[in-house]
Amino acid sequence: MFHKLLIANRGEVAVRIARTAREMGVAVVGVASEADLGASWLDAMDEVVALGGAAPRDSYLDMAKVLQAGVQTGCTAVHPGWGFLAENPRFAALAEQHGMTFLGPSAAVMARLGTKLPSKAAFRAAGLAGIPGSAAPLADVEEALRLADEIGYPVMIKADAGGGGRGIRKCADASEVREAFGAARAEAEAAFGDGALFVEKCVEGGRHVEVQIVCDRFGDAIHVGERDCSVQRNHQKLIEESPCPLLSDEQRAHFGAAAARAAAAIGYVGAGTIEFLRAPDGELYFMEMNARLQVEHPVSEMVSGLDLVRLQLEVAANRALSVRQDEIALTGCAIECRINAEDPTEDFRPTPGVLEAYDFPLDVGPGTLRYDTHLTAGDEVPPYYDSLLGKLIAHGDTREQAIETLLAGLAAARVEGVATTIPLHRAVLESEEFRANDYDTTAIPGWSRTPSRS
Amino acid sequence: MSTTIELVARREGDEVALLAPGPGWFTRALPEGALVGGGAAVGVLRVLGREHALRAPAGVHGRVVSARPERIDEPVGAGVELYRLAPLAAGDDAGAAAGPAEAAATGLVLTSPQTGRFYHRPGPDEPAFAAPGDELAEGQPVGLIEVMKTFAHVPYRAQAGLPQRARVVRVLVEDGAEVRRDQPLLEVEPA
Repeated sequence: MFHKLLIANRGEVAVRIARTAREMGVAVVGVASEADLGASWLDAMDEVVALGGAAPRDSYLDMAKVLQAGVQTGCTAVHPGWGFLAENPRFAALAEQHGMTFLGPSAAVMARLGTKLPSKAAFRAAGLAGIPGSAAPLADVEEALRLADEIGYPVMIKADAGGGGRGIRKCADASEVREAFGAARAEAEAAFGDGALFVEKCVEGGRHVEVQIVCDRFGDAIHVGERDCSVQRNHQKLIEESPCPLLSDEQRAHFGAAAARAAAAIGYVGAGTIEFLRAPDGELYFMEMNARLQVEHPVSEMVSGLDLVRLQLEVAANRALSVRQDEIALTGCAIECRINAEDPTEDFRPTPGVLEAYDFPLDVGPGTLRYDTHLTAGDEVPPYYDSLLGKLIAHGDTREQAIETLLAGLAAARVEGVATTIPLHRAVLESEEFRANDYDTTAIPGWSRTPSRS
Repeated sequence: MSTTIELVARREGDEVALLAPGPGWFTRALPEGALVGGGAAVGVLRVLGREHALRAPAGVHGRVVSARPERIDEPVGAGVELYRLAPLAAGDDAGAAAGPAEAAATGLVLTSPQTGRFYHRPGPDEPAFAAPGDELAEGQPVGLIEVMKTFAHVPYRAQAGLPQRARVVRVLVEDGAEVRRDQPLLEVEPA
């Protein structure tokens, strides 16, 4: 096992990783921007190296500064967490080059996962089909039209290098494809420096379902069930749960095993997530693989009893997976709410500030509660980074019990000084749409699109 | 390829603290007593194996009153104090003090390669190697340095952020003055 681990991240992420690492006897080195120096979450670290600069590009995104912090403190491994440099192949390669094991897949595998078509092709070959569409970048608009006729309208024109909704056009017929093709290409070239486009069948609505996998360096892979992350706002997840209430046991076993096999087949190492779109007709399509541990990993930990960070550290240290697939039993239901410093009644306006009160009692039933946070009363929420205060996760024997437990936890929570998304979570969890699974990713169940401004 | 980074200055009463800009191994530190002005070379920060020349920021000058770090490669983080500068005293070399302060205009200075006595000209009746306005190229002598009774040319070197061709703005030390290693000798600008 490693003696010293560099955590290339901040806040809740860094605290979560430090907890498991220290339990395993691994010393942790944290990094801190100018704005984070003196923050209480740094107490979770054995050593801290100041990076300077408050803006992420001058601190947590500056690869040389972050890695040098690990080099000069004698770290032999680096955990990137999620966000910041977690899915940057150059960072992974540079870490290895300077003698630190990167907790994640190799730079080459990561780079392949970062582009849509090569990634889709690799997973199709491993048995996971994506949404029907082109297998290679489109040569011209005529090819787009021919493929659109084959798969049927409406279709989406998408940028291969895309992300964040740019370079994407929905087309209802051939004339719209002709119109959209040039514009999407220009947009993709401007935004990503790569004008490659592809066409795929348009699947609207649906649910976001993702399978948690862990692979070791010996070609073995396990899956730890799936999560449903369909309560979203502008592609930002708000509530996640495991298991997905809409999957049958056969689907769960089939897609779990297929995801683990596919990840092993592409040479993946570490913890990762394979995302699917569950179409309104019940079909599951492969979307992409995220080469990192995710924010919502605690729900998988709650239903499996596993510590995913521990597994990450073990496989990175060249150990074989310490748990076999047939030893993993998923029990009950876990649901997570992201508590953000945002005002949901004011169009989710971020509200940085000082936490005058901050208390999440966990001794309310009927199930069990876990709160992952890096903050305590009196702390300041700086305006430079994301707005996550913490994640409240409830586990119950049934989905109803988990909902009830989470509502009790939210009712008991006290946060003053900043606005939070707690009122939103309570409204969603109480809504008939959420309880009856009558919703999809396009709208938040139980939350009106045009909130009253009282 | 080398790059230049400016230290962060924090004024504390009469004194000035010069702070590290980020994590790295700090080496080639100036000794206690050295005179520092704006743009002066004040050591090296090694980050992931690459050397970054450290410069004092513009408008800063004083005498180093902090001790040299105990280690040759001292690990530092952002905001760590590398030097503490006291105001210049009456006996300090006015040229070294005033020059670097003005060197802030370009921030480019050629520093002494060794500790010794620096001479402007090859002989008492001969012209100076480098006078203000002269152009310097790589390897061209700018003076003589006497170390333990032996004389050596001090060549112009286009390193640590200095241009390939430079023009002398001013000479910062007197003819025959005692100089320390890394003490600024000439203020230059790109030619």
